[in-house]
Amino acid sequence: MSLRRDVRHGLRIGRAEFVRSLRGYASETRRIIGLLLLLLFFGGSLLFSLPAVYVVGRGAQSVTEIPFFDLVATAIPVGLALLATFRTLERIGRVENESLVLTTVHPRAVVIGLITAEICRIGLWFGLPLAVVAATFTAGLGAPSLLLTTAVVAAPLACCTTVWGYAVGVAVLRAFKRLPGVRRTLKVVGFVAMVGLVLVSQSFGRLLAEGSLPLEWLAATLTVGPLADYLALAFVGTPLARPFSAAAVVTFAAIVALTPVGLAVATRQASALWFTDRATGGDRGSSAAGAKATDSTGGFSTPKPLAGTNGGHVAWGLLVRGVRHPQKFTHLVMLVFFLGPLGTTIVQSSADGLGPLLAASGAGLGTYLAGATFGLNPIGDDRPQFPMLLLTPTAPRELVRGRVLAGVILGVPVAAALPLATVALGTSPLSAVGFALVGVFMCVAAAAFAVGIGAAYPIYEEREFWGATTVVPSTLVLMAFMFVVGPGTVIGLVATWFGVTGHLSATPLLAAGLGLYLLVTVGVSYGSYRYAVRRYRTYTFE
Amino acid sequence: MPSTNADADVAVEATDLRKSYGSEVALDGVSLSIPSGTVYGFLGPNGAGKTTTMRILTGLSQPTSGSVRICGLDVSDRRKLAPHVGYLPETPPLYDEFSAREQLDYVADLRDIPSETAEARIDDLLDQFGLVGDANKRIGTYSKGMKQKTAFIQSVLHEPDVLFLDEPTSGLDPRAARQIRTSIGDVADAGATVFLSTHILPVVEAVADEVGVLFDGRVVAEGTPDEVKSRAQTGGEGSLEDAFLAVTSDETQLSGVADE
Repeated sequence: MSLRRDVRHGLRIGRAEFVRSLRGYASETRRIIGLLLLLLFFGGSLLFSLPAVYVVGRGAQSVTEIPFFDLVATAIPVGLALLATFRTLERIGRVENESLVLTTVHPRAVVIGLITAEICRIGLWFGLPLAVVAATFTAGLGAPSLLLTTAVVAAPLACCTTVWGYAVGVAVLRAFKRLPGVRRTLKVVGFVAMVGLVLVSQSFGRLLAEGSLPLEWLAATLTVGPLADYLALAFVGTPLARPFSAAAVVTFAAIVALTPVGLAVATRQASALWFTDRATGGDRGSSAAGAKATDSTGGFSTPKPLAGTNGGHVAWGLLVRGVRHPQKFTHLVMLVFFLGPLGTTIVQSSADGLGPLLAASGAGLGTYLAGATFGLNPIGDDRPQFPMLLLTPTAPRELVRGRVLAGVILGVPVAAALPLATVALGTSPLSAVGFALVGVFMCVAAAAFAVGIGAAYPIYEEREFWGATTVVPSTLVLMAFMFVVGPGTVIGLVATWFGVTGHLSATPLLAAGLGLYLLVTVGVSYGSYRYAVRRYRTYTFE
Repeated sequence: MPSTNADADVAVEATDLRKSYGSEVALDGVSLSIPSGTVYGFLGPNGAGKTTTMRILTGLSQPTSGSVRICGLDVSDRRKLAPHVGYLPETPPLYDEFSAREQLDYVADLRDIPSETAEARIDDLLDQFGLVGDANKRIGTYSKGMKQKTAFIQSVLHEPDVLFLDEPTSGLDPRAARQIRTSIGDVADAGATVFLSTHILPVVEAVADEVGVLFDGRVVAEGTPDEVKSRAQTGGEGSLEDAFLAVTSDETQLSGVADE
């Protein structure tokens, strides 16, 4: 009786949470534009791959002809469980408005609801494209029953893996709660691991195409036979059907049996998590033990070089706040997606090319940090403080200048020091100095440019990410920044390289090109900076 | 002077509650015994432990030691407890993506209120709080007062036996505050017990039958508002605010209060 009621409540919670997600996706124009761009990009790729899928379906005579079916069949449940664990850590470990929900229904209903909503979300993001691929394959194969059998086989597996992934995720959250030190360490480890994973994944496609990956060995080592047999049940009634396997039936039974066990474990873990307080906290919010990390001694004193101007004070304030809350800069991780190919090039480059390549990379990295760290959402960042900031005698230009200055302070050491350090790797001193100078110049230009495009499209919505509630710049703004500053910096660095290595001769055309480049760089950056100042000066709360 | 009444008709019975966060003691031996149908004003300065107490009384948090029974039920039995309690925390637990009507329908579903009954109650309460015209607008577009009223409706929708309210009138305009205050009286008149935590002392004076003052994790004064005023050495003519300031400013003044 209580189980039936919990399931009913859980499904109602799941429906509500899923509807809230859908409304959240469509709540703002920028989100809709982002989704459309995503659809355009991935939908296009999917559309172009469908003919090939259809042809594979037409030609398939046996499941063994599907490349690495057994390996993929093993990877799917593992991937689903890991995804559920990650999502639990990141988002669904707690229910929103828990004071309402937990005083209204049993925790088991909440767990069922959160998992149901998550399965629906996964179904929307991954299930729909997979369904399109499966339908195309089915059409090619000429066996419509495949769609139904696939759903019947996939549903229990998705439920089981999600439930257990959730249970593991909540267990990890509990461990983090008891051991905050481990949590902090694992955050760093997890971040580094994620960056590494992204970098490795950048090279994965190329290695796969080259045939450098030992797929045969991986398939032989990692494949779990019974899982592959189970997923092959989806082909029952089609020409691809495997002979009857008792292991497949046992696996099915195990999946069905493990799901309620997983639910019980998840409920127990979740109850313990939700109804137990942190080791520190209470009505005051932090304990004496935790006070050390959140205390500051003395007043706010800006160091000498910056103390002379209000812009300097603003810059120092931004730097201090950044150091205390580095999670504010999670958007900088986007760079990692562009580092993969560059990293591969660096690794493969000859000893002669390594130094200059690293020098140029250092200048580029500094430029990126100078603009992207503080500049891409100035109004969104400052808005909570605007009632105070805009009513002080400090001019808006000082506020913007402070932001530019903070970016430059962060970017210039990287842009200058890295190129100079590569002298040790064989870069000529002239090249190193040349790259460093270009890097410093580009830092100033990028920081000034960033505040303008950031001010043009402010984001106010706060998001909690890794324990910090902060406003993250728009992805569109970040991409625009990278697509403008990236090529601009590369042109400057390439020209510098040709210049210092004597490959450029002074001609009127070169002078004109260089002049135009400098004019555009300085003009766009200055114009952008002026625009940001004007936005600050004329800002009103709507 | 913690309550020690062991009457069978007790709505809230807390015995020697203690709660520690590491080395910090949030609650230090809080005991309460609140008869059914009482409006109990729970007062205390910021950080005194009021919210912690409410979370323990609603079963959302576990005490380090001590026990709580609501309507004779152990709060750890959440399945049995849920129909008996309503809780409005300081931040209204609402979903911006829903309209008020959707939110209330949702809660009614989770409360297993039959749909016809729920519909009638929701219509009645929306009308009572002047929200009918905005009932289909998303909550994200609501003012603070509208959100608070919606959350209040949601906390009484199932007609709970004990209603816990944490700062229900904080930040509201006088009209909205009066509406909530009147509704608290209506809920109590209907026989429910109201546990009201607030800093707005005139509200407590207006509606509370009994008052408890929490200071530094301990109940330092308890009784009717008049009793608390007289015991707090305010000369019997001071307001509840004077009494509150007296009992929470210097413990040496409490000798004649908490121990009586």
